[in-house]
Amino acid sequence: MEDNKRKMWQFPWRYKESIALVGGIIVIGFILQLTVGKFNFFLLSSPVNLIVGAAIILFLIAFSFKRKNVFYQWFSGVPFSVTLITAMLLLALILGLTPQLIKTNPHDNDIFTQLGFRQVTSSWSFVLVYFLTLLSLGSLIARRLVAFKKKDYAFYMNHIGLWILLFAAGLGSADMKRYVMHVYEGEVEWRVFSDNEDVLELPIAIQLNDFYMEEYPPKLAVINRESGTPQPEAKPEYVQIDEKRPHGNIDQWDITLEKYIHDAVRNSDSTYQEVHMPGASPAALVKATNKTTGEMSTGWVCCGNTAQLYMTLNLDSTFCVVMTQPEPKRFVSDIDVFTEDGKEEKAILEVNKPLKIDNWVIYQYGYDNQAGKMSNYSSMELVYDPWIYPVYLGIILLAIGSICLLWSGNKKTKKENDLE
Amino acid sequence: MTWSEYLWFAIPAMICWLAAAALIYKVKKQIIIDILMIAGIAIFAAFIVGLWIGQERPPLRTMGETRLWYSFFLSTIGFLTYKHWKYKWLLSFSGVIACVFVCVNIFKPEIHSTNLMPALQSYWFVPHVTVYILSYAMLGAATIAAFIQLTKIKKGSPDEELYKFMDNIVYVGFGFLILGMLMGAVWAKEAWGHYWSWDPKETWAFITSAAYLIYIHMRLQNNHQKFTVWMLPIAFVLLMITWIGVNYLPAAQGSIHVYS
Ligand code: HEM
Repeated sequence: MEDNKRKMWQFPWRYKESIALVGGIIVIGFILQLTVGKFNFFLLSSPVNLIVGAAIILFLIAFSFKRKNVFYQWFSGVPFSVTLITAMLLLALILGLTPQLIKTNPHDNDIFTQLGFRQVTSSWSFVLVYFLTLLSLGSLIARRLVAFKKKDYAFYMNHIGLWILLFAAGLGSADMKRYVMHVYEGEVEWRVFSDNEDVLELPIAIQLNDFYMEEYPPKLAVINRESGTPQPEAKPEYVQIDEKRPHGNIDQWDITLEKYIHDAVRNSDSTYQEVHMPGASPAALVKATNKTTGEMSTGWVCCGNTAQLYMTLNLDSTFCVVMTQPEPKRFVSDIDVFTEDGKEEKAILEVNKPLKIDNWVIYQYGYDNQAGKMSNYSSMELVYDPWIYPVYLGIILLAIGSICLLWSGNKKTKKENDLE
Repeated sequence: MTWSEYLWFAIPAMICWLAAAALIYKVKKQIIIDILMIAGIAIFAAFIVGLWIGQERPPLRTMGETRLWYSFFLSTIGFLTYKHWKYKWLLSFSGVIACVFVCVNIFKPEIHSTNLMPALQSYWFVPHVTVYILSYAMLGAATIAAFIQLTKIKKGSPDEELYKFMDNIVYVGFGFLILGMLMGAVWAKEAWGHYWSWDPKETWAFITSAAYLIYIHMRLQNNHQKFTVWMLPIAFVLLMITWIGVNYLPAAQGSIHVYS
């Protein structure tokens, strides 16, 4: 190999030097972690991130005058970037293999925690490698932009897009604010909870006019009456209630759906009728036949809710048919939003359909899980993320770059040996 | 139009696609393949449009409706990519997989009731998943090629043509991978308020793409050939973990991407 003819640290640098350097940076990260604790992203909040961002760009511009220098060539070259990407990969492996904590326990003194591996994304090593990648990729882009070639469009889209994305995502993370607001039906709320459960007041108020939920028809199961375990125990089976396909089977029973009422209320004689009211719950008239004994049972089952008792259908002395709790199909908040400067907006908020108002985006977040569709409040998440625009710009450029890759593949002819 | 007319469209479309997938290795006349593929796609698209009009809403809600789009996009993108790259197996592969989804709708039609949780009910769902399927197919092919190349390197004579194929297919597969990831990011922003939260599935997607980036960039130079080619099988293992394995990892407890 060429590398052997050359002493280490003698230019041009290649993989050995790159690995030594990135390894050194990671060790420095560990030392910082052990001495000052994890990287505090709030140090970067506006305007610090703007200053740091401007400094990075100015540095890259100034540095680009040195682009003929061997150090620059190495810093913006393949071996160093491959090493940086590998370092990112290894750190991400730790992140992907071990459970991460939102808050570390101050009494955890094992070395794994101390080195920041329980919160990889806010560990110094990760932040330093990320930062170095930003600089390396930036100087590569600068070098290639100075020698601009139109046919390199795919290269520009991919690398500039990714650089903008990394730049905005990294620096912007400190400015992002996310709060949860719980609003009761018919009331107006402007207080929110932060991650630390602190109560804050926002320049936005939300009035909840109505919260409603649609649910899927539930499933039927056979359980052991004593232990409550669904059958067959090794691999429980469920029959999805579907009026168009009323037959199913569970273990040794044929299950037939005779009748299904989505909004049902129990009559005094333990039958059910359709009533559209908040306390209604799904109920089904079910026939179950034991395939071996031929024994047949028919009766109502109901999953119940906070307003009604559940109902089961006994099959024999050990087993019974039950109905599972329905799963949400759609939950919706009908809201009015007011801002401090007098703006007012009406919206129907649901999952995947957030509302944007000023610099805030309001998301349907949750509800009272115990009460389900009878929940009398709705939780909304309010997100403030001013760096989202450059992030989207990066995403769009990178997407165009990917399409270029799809289309042109690898057309470049390679030099046999690029050590020159 | 409703689902009861499905068979009238599904079977002719499948005949077209499967015929194209088989005949491509037999017939010389390219036009026959083109006509068959386009006819299949047109017949299938006609059903989707009909259903859209018939139901008075875009068919995007149920699992069955989602599968319609898988079949449609797989055959269309597979055909376009084939036209561009001339890899015959690619056309056959996407045609067959498109038919698998068509058949699932015939034999296990969850076309009325579905329990798609609210977060999954988005127009991003279909393109996000189809693009990934295509990407996996191509990166899988690249892995097989990598093993062949490794034996050739061992014998001291790497095959330049094979390298060209590997690089092309990795570029195309990686392009789809990144597109899938970006769509996922935009979708996550819409559904959960953040485009990237280092959720285990996202983390593993990052790991996978980093591995392919190492291959792509190391191939720009001709050093460390063996290591470079080995990156493809390694990256593919990581890809499989991202796709299937994540649900079983200890780190994935509480992930928004684990649907059980
Ligand atoms: C989505 C991400 C990326 C894609 C698709 C990508 C793709 C490519 C492609 C296709 C080339 C060869 C094209 C050409 O030279 O004209 C290339 C070159 C290069 N890329 Fe990337 N890349 C990505 C990310 C990165 C990152 C994160 C780095 C650095 C940390 C990087 C550093 C380089 C370097 C140093 C070259 C060699 C160019 C030169 O020396 O002139 N790339 N990349």
